[in-house]
Amino acid sequence: MNGESMRVIVVGAGLAGLTAAADLVAAGAEVTVLEARDRVGGRMHGIPMSATVAADGGAAYLGVRHTELLALLREHGLDVVSTGMAGDSTFLFSEQRTTTASRVPPLDAVALGDLFDRLEELVAQVHPDAPWETPGAGYLDHMTAQRWLEDEVRHPDARTFFPLFIGEMMAADPASISALHMAFYLRSGGGIRYLNAFEGGAQEWRVDGGAHLLCLALARQLGDRMRLSQPVSVIDQESDEVVVQCVSDVDGTRSEYRADRVIVAVPPLLAQRMEFRPALSSPRATTVTGRGCAVKVHLGYPAPLWREHGLSGWSVSAGGPLLSTVDDSPPDESVGVLTGFVTGAAAPAFGALTPTEQRAEALAHARRLFPQLPPPTRFSVTDWRAEEYSKGCYAALFGPGDWLRLGPTLTEPHGRVHWAGTETSLEFFGLMEGAIRSGHRVAAELTDDAELVAASRKVVAR
Amino acid sequence: MSVDFIVGIFRRVLNTPEVKADSDFFELGGDSLLATRVLSAIAREFGVELLYDEFAQNPSPVELFEKVAATVP
Repeated sequence: MNGESMRVIVVGAGLAGLTAAADLVAAGAEVTVLEARDRVGGRMHGIPMSATVAADGGAAYLGVRHTELLALLREHGLDVVSTGMAGDSTFLFSEQRTTTASRVPPLDAVALGDLFDRLEELVAQVHPDAPWETPGAGYLDHMTAQRWLEDEVRHPDARTFFPLFIGEMMAADPASISALHMAFYLRSGGGIRYLNAFEGGAQEWRVDGGAHLLCLALARQLGDRMRLSQPVSVIDQESDEVVVQCVSDVDGTRSEYRADRVIVAVPPLLAQRMEFRPALSSPRATTVTGRGCAVKVHLGYPAPLWREHGLSGWSVSAGGPLLSTVDDSPPDESVGVLTGFVTGAAAPAFGALTPTEQRAEALAHARRLFPQLPPPTRFSVTDWRAEEYSKGCYAALFGPGDWLRLGPTLTEPHGRVHWAGTETSLEFFGLMEGAIRSGHRVAAELTDDAELVAASRKVVAR
Repeated sequence: MSVDFIVGIFRRVLNTPEVKADSDFFELGGDSLLATRVLSAIAREFGVELLYDEFAQNPSPVELFEKVAATVP
C-alpha cells in the first residue's frame, strides 16, 4: 500500500469522509477535506442539554456487531454507555395509555408474530452482496413496502404496527420505499431482531458524551487539512487534474482545489445535485430517492424522573408526533434526556408546523405518555429532512426502481471520482458502521492503485 | 400433539439446537419480538392463540404446551 504524493480531496466531513481521510493520511497521501457546513460530523451532531451534557441530534446507537465503529472509538479513547431500558414500557394505542414490563405493544401478539414471520421470509430472500440480484428483484423493487404489506398481511393490528416498525427501524414511510429496499435495509443491519433490539442489538450502547465526539476527534487529527464552509458545486476532471469548485454560501466567495483523486462522501441526494464534468454515466439518486424521514425531539428534565415511577422512558404511540421515545440520559443522571422520534409520514407533517406548534404538539404528547412528569426544562427539535447538507436521516430512502437503477454502480468510480458514505455500504447501510466501512473501502480503493496513478502522471508529464 | 413441536419452534425461531423441554426462552437469548413469532407458530400448529402475557409467564416449551393443552377443547 502506497498513497505517497497522491493528492486527494474528500468532499464531506461526515463519518465516512473523515474515516477515508484518516486512512489516506496514514498511507502518506496529501489530503484536503471540504465540508459544506461550518461544523464537521454530518448526520452526527451534539445537541446541548446542559452546560456539560450533549444529546445525539442524529446517529446515536451501536451494538456489538458494529466492529469498525467500536475499533475507531477505542482508537480515539471514547467509551460507550448502555442505553437505559430498565423499567416498564409505555404505550399509547387507541387513545389508551398502558404500561407493561415487556416491549410488546397492546396489539394482537399472534398477528405481530405473523407480520415478523412474513418480514423474516422476505429478508431471507435478499442477496446481501447484490440486492439487485435477489430472486424476483424486479418485482420487489417496483413494489412499495406498503403494497407488500397489503398483499401479505390482513390483520388490522399488524397493519397498525407495520408503519411504526418501519418508521423506527429505517425512518421511512412504507408507501415511499420499495419492498426490496425495506428487505435489504433490514438484512444489511443484521436482521429484524438485531436491528430492533436494545440489549444484544443495534441499540445496545451510545457513545459517552455523544457520537459526534468521534467526528471531532477525527477532524482534530486532520488539523488544517480540514476546510469548513466549502460547499462543492462542481467536480471537473476534463484536464489532467481533478478541479473541485466551491461557492461559499456565506459570502459567495469562489474557491478551487486541485487533486489527483476525489472522494465524494455525501448522501446520494447531495451528490446528485453537484455538477460533474464529464457528466455522471449513472445517477447517484433518482426522482423517487427520498430523504430519511427522521425528526428528533429532545426533552430535557432535571433528572431521569420517569425512573422514579418504574418506567424505562421507552414508549411507542400509534399516532404522532412522538411515535417513539427513548431514555438517552447521561450515566451520571445529571440531567434527564428523553428523545422523541418523529419518523416516517409523521416527519414531514411535523416539519411543516411552526416552532410554536411543534413545541405545543410534542409537549402535549409527552404529557399523555408521562402524566407524572413536569413539563421539560429544555426542548429542541432536529429536523433532518430540512437540513440542506444532509437531506434526511437516518439515510437516503430508495424508492421503487432505485435498487435496480442505482445499486450496481453504488461504488463504481466515475473516472477519478470515488464514492463513500453509509449509502454505499451494503453492510450496515444507513448506520455509522456502514459509513466507516465505506470510508475504509474507498481509501483502500485509492491506495491500492496509487502506483497506477503515479505511473499515469509520469506519462502525462512526458 | 406433543411438546416436541414447541421445542422445534424454539429451535427455529432462536436459531439454536440447544433447546430442551424446560429451557427458558429468554435465557436462551429470546426477546419479545421473537416471542411473538413463537406465538404465531403455535397458532398455526395448534390453532391456539396465546396472549403475550401467557407466554411471558410460561416461557418454556413444557409450560407453553400445558397452556396449549389446557386451551384445546
